[in-house]
Amino acid sequence: MSSEHTAPLLSVRNLVVEFSTRYGPVRAVDDISFDVYPNETVGIVGESGCGKTVTGLTLLQLIPMPPGRIVQGSIKFDGRDLTKLSEKEMQEMRGSDISMIFQEPMTALNPVFSVGNQMIDVLRRHKNLTRRQARELAINMLDTVGIPAPRKRIDEYPHQMSGGMRQRVMIAMALSCGPKLLIADEPTTALDVTTQAQVMEQIVKLQDEFHMSMILVTHDLGVVAESCDRAIVMYCGNIIETAAIDDLFHKPQHPYTRGLLDSIPRIREERVAELPIIRGIVPDLLHLPDGCRFADRCPRATDECRKDKPVVNIDPVTGNGVACYHPMG
Amino acid sequence: MSSVAPEQVADQAVVDDGAAHRESIWAKAVYKLRRDRLGMIGLGVVLLYFVVAIGVWLGIWATEWGDVEGPKWAPMSAEYWFGTNIIGQDIFARAIYSTKTAFEVGLVVAVLSTIIGALLGALAGFFSGTWIDEIILWLKGVLDSIPFYLFVAAVAFALTGNPYAMHIAMVSTFWTTTGRLVRGEVIKLKNFEFVEAARAIGVPQVVIIFRHILPNTFHILLVQATIVFVAAIKSEVILSFLGLGVQDGVSWGLMIAESTQEVLAGFFNNFVWASVFLFGLVMAFNMFSDALQDALDPRKVASE
Amino acid sequence: MEVLQYAIRKLIGGIPLVLGVTFISFLLMVYFGPDKTYELLGKNPTQEQIDEIRHELGYDKPFMVRYGEYLKEMATLDFGASDSTGEPVSKVLARTVPISLALITPGFILGNLLGILLALIAAYHRSGPIDKYIMGFSVVGMSISFLIVVIAFQIIFSSSYGLNAFPVRGWNVHSFSDYLRYITVPTLATVFVALGYNTRFYRAVLVEEMTRDHVRTAKAFGTRPGKLLYKNILKNSMIPIITRIMFSIPLVVVSGSLIIESYFGIPGIGKVTYDAITTGDQPILKAVVGLTAVLFVITLLITDILYRVVDPRVSLK
Ligand SMILES: Nc1ncnc2c1ncn2[C@@H]1O[C@H](COP(=O)(O)OP(=O)(O)OP(=O)(O)O)[C@@H](O)[C@H]1O
Ligand SMILES: [Mg+2]
Repeated sequence: MSSEHTAPLLSVRNLVVEFSTRYGPVRAVDDISFDVYPNETVGIVGESGCGKTVTGLTLLQLIPMPPGRIVQGSIKFDGRDLTKLSEKEMQEMRGSDISMIFQEPMTALNPVFSVGNQMIDVLRRHKNLTRRQARELAINMLDTVGIPAPRKRIDEYPHQMSGGMRQRVMIAMALSCGPKLLIADEPTTALDVTTQAQVMEQIVKLQDEFHMSMILVTHDLGVVAESCDRAIVMYCGNIIETAAIDDLFHKPQHPYTRGLLDSIPRIREERVAELPIIRGIVPDLLHLPDGCRFADRCPRATDECRKDKPVVNIDPVTGNGVACYHPMG
Repeated sequence: MSSVAPEQVADQAVVDDGAAHRESIWAKAVYKLRRDRLGMIGLGVVLLYFVVAIGVWLGIWATEWGDVEGPKWAPMSAEYWFGTNIIGQDIFARAIYSTKTAFEVGLVVAVLSTIIGALLGALAGFFSGTWIDEIILWLKGVLDSIPFYLFVAAVAFALTGNPYAMHIAMVSTFWTTTGRLVRGEVIKLKNFEFVEAARAIGVPQVVIIFRHILPNTFHILLVQATIVFVAAIKSEVILSFLGLGVQDGVSWGLMIAESTQEVLAGFFNNFVWASVFLFGLVMAFNMFSDALQDALDPRKVASE
Repeated sequence: MEVLQYAIRKLIGGIPLVLGVTFISFLLMVYFGPDKTYELLGKNPTQEQIDEIRHELGYDKPFMVRYGEYLKEMATLDFGASDSTGEPVSKVLARTVPISLALITPGFILGNLLGILLALIAAYHRSGPIDKYIMGFSVVGMSISFLIVVIAFQIIFSSSYGLNAFPVRGWNVHSFSDYLRYITVPTLATVFVALGYNTRFYRAVLVEEMTRDHVRTAKAFGTRPGKLLYKNILKNSMIPIITRIMFSIPLVVVSGSLIIESYFGIPGIGKVTYDAITTGDQPILKAVVGLTAVLFVITLLITDILYRVVDPRVSLK
């Protein structure tokens, strides 16, 4: 999606998030910048622990502080810098302008309240509705996300529903106030394969219907290929490549991206929950090398790579960029 | 090396695994504990009391605790720092001497109930779901259901004249919490790799329990021991007041019990000083125990 | 119907507990308890007189027979009369239990409610100065002996060295204002002592619940912190809270009232039981021990039913 005419809905610049641990500060997100345009779906991929969830939570100012801390950077959403908003203003925003779906449907809903109760709470929090109106709206939403007999199921408790069903409830809740941006953090990882496909389809369909932008965090490059307009590849808290989806899949620039793509199983049924294995181990966030963080695992690494860290240079025309001295070209 | 049987190698690996798990917990705990200012102050005060108790035990000071040497209800003075009680005994000496009594009661009860709790808890946990577990749980339920002071009173009267009736009663009821916690932990540990590995290569069950499982519950035992210590010296006060506590010697509880007569007459020294000494030790122990809990709680350790 | 079936099953399941409690108590209080033979005899009794008295008191029967008789008495609720006063045990209980309940209930309820309230405040301000003050206060409260509090409060409120506003001891209640006057100091003392423990326990429960995923979800949907605490977190914390409250009931009724009643000279069940232990008044002891055990089983049952009320995942099966 081109950046020339529309202004981005979300614009993250030089964001750094640090956690203090007893071994010292850990930069879970280190100087990342990216944009999300209206109606666009941006995928974030990367190995476990590379900072995807922290990125998503930071957008909503939900990282636990302490130990977490936003060291620097700005998060411009709809013209406002979220890092400068008060907690009260942020609360207004959560669930209404920006919604988030979490990875674990089994624990993300409150077990002692019915799903209706929880949905009604969200609706009445952000919209001026009576209980009855909110309930009707909630039933509609459940219907929209494909829950059969919503009028009956709305009074059920989370434990009476399957994982896929609960994730649909989460989606219904997330969309109920018509957010402009949806952050979906591995929304299907915890589900079984058939349910995964159905839920993912539902999300993509609704994103279109609701005209929202979406940040889709996932391990599944197949899902990225199918549902995203653009993808961001993260490694050790850095963005190492960002590109339009076709470019990324056909002309990956970063050797790491290339490695990821090479190891996608060809047969779709064999989707894996974890990213495929690339030779070597991810460096520990406490002992990062000076140069490129991928250098030790990279077949193309040179001395230059080990000395200075490459930065992402965004091409103003395509919007693509890579942090590599020796891109695959 | 070639002469070592494969089982021994495997056994060694198993032991190392358990030991590594332990070490990481302790290293983190010591680090956290040393940074906990209140906890370290608490520990310092407890040690101070302990030195006082040792001195009493060695006969260095407070030897005159039982002597009727002064006038009745003498005020605080250079001679009688805290004044004297209703029969003219030196309150300062008695308060100091009682430190030893408190440590005696606290240590005996804490050590014994921790040992019993650890053994029964480990047995119940290791054999969870079997009749051994059932019986231990039943015993724990029964002991927890008998009102504590009635139980102590009953033990005291059943063992008339036995100076350890109070200790026995406390140990019989205080082990249950430790037992429950150890049982829970052992059930968790049972499924850890190093225990399963030990079982797979045929290490006898007794050895598994004592060498591989119990050492890994040590952090629970330590915290529980501090909690029981505090509970024991607090209970001693009430039991002494009820006439069921310390039989010979003197304790803060006995001092407070005898002071109930004095306060009605407007003489507060005995009550105040015994209370201050008792409060100081319990408070310091609580602060230390808290810090220990913070430092050793595996959940908290894991989250950082 | 389902609940009734459950209740019956649960009560039957409680039989081993009742047997255990009564057995141990019987062993300690009755079998090894004080021997009243010589109290009832004159000077220089003959062996025959001794034997006769022992026979009358039932001391000569084997232990299991005596225990069996006791169980029969309990099942038929026939406890006989007090050895010391001759008053029927049922009358003694009917006279003393209401006094104990009236004495401890206000303090028990207040201690728990205030504890939950302070815990909520502390949890809301977690790690902030208010939290630190509340928790510091709790540790201090936990470190003061109940007996010291009772004596100090009596000096402060009831003696001429203090306010001198409340009765020092006794239980001379004829009206509601009498009642308030007599329970004020004991209640203040109970609340003061319970508050430290309760606040700490409840705060730990609440804070643990605050780290759960569903709390993060609620935050991600804009729930305000106050509502988060009193709606989402509090209801989820109800199981440990109920457990603590319910399980302390049987113990508070007897043990808790014992100290207050002895110190304030109030003729409640705690005092009566304590006196029965010291004098070897076996009919009273048997009744109290047996009924406490039964009370425990009933408490267990009610606790389970309450779990079902607060947590839909709990099923009564
Ligand atoms: N509360 C915290 N305290 C300390 N470190 C944290 C905390 N939360 C996250 N981190 C660190 O931040 C890094 C990034 O974590 P994050 O959860 O974002 O990974 P992720 O990319 O979402 O991984 P996954 O695919 O497994 O979900 C991790 O190395 C983690 O150790
Ligand atoms: Mg994640």
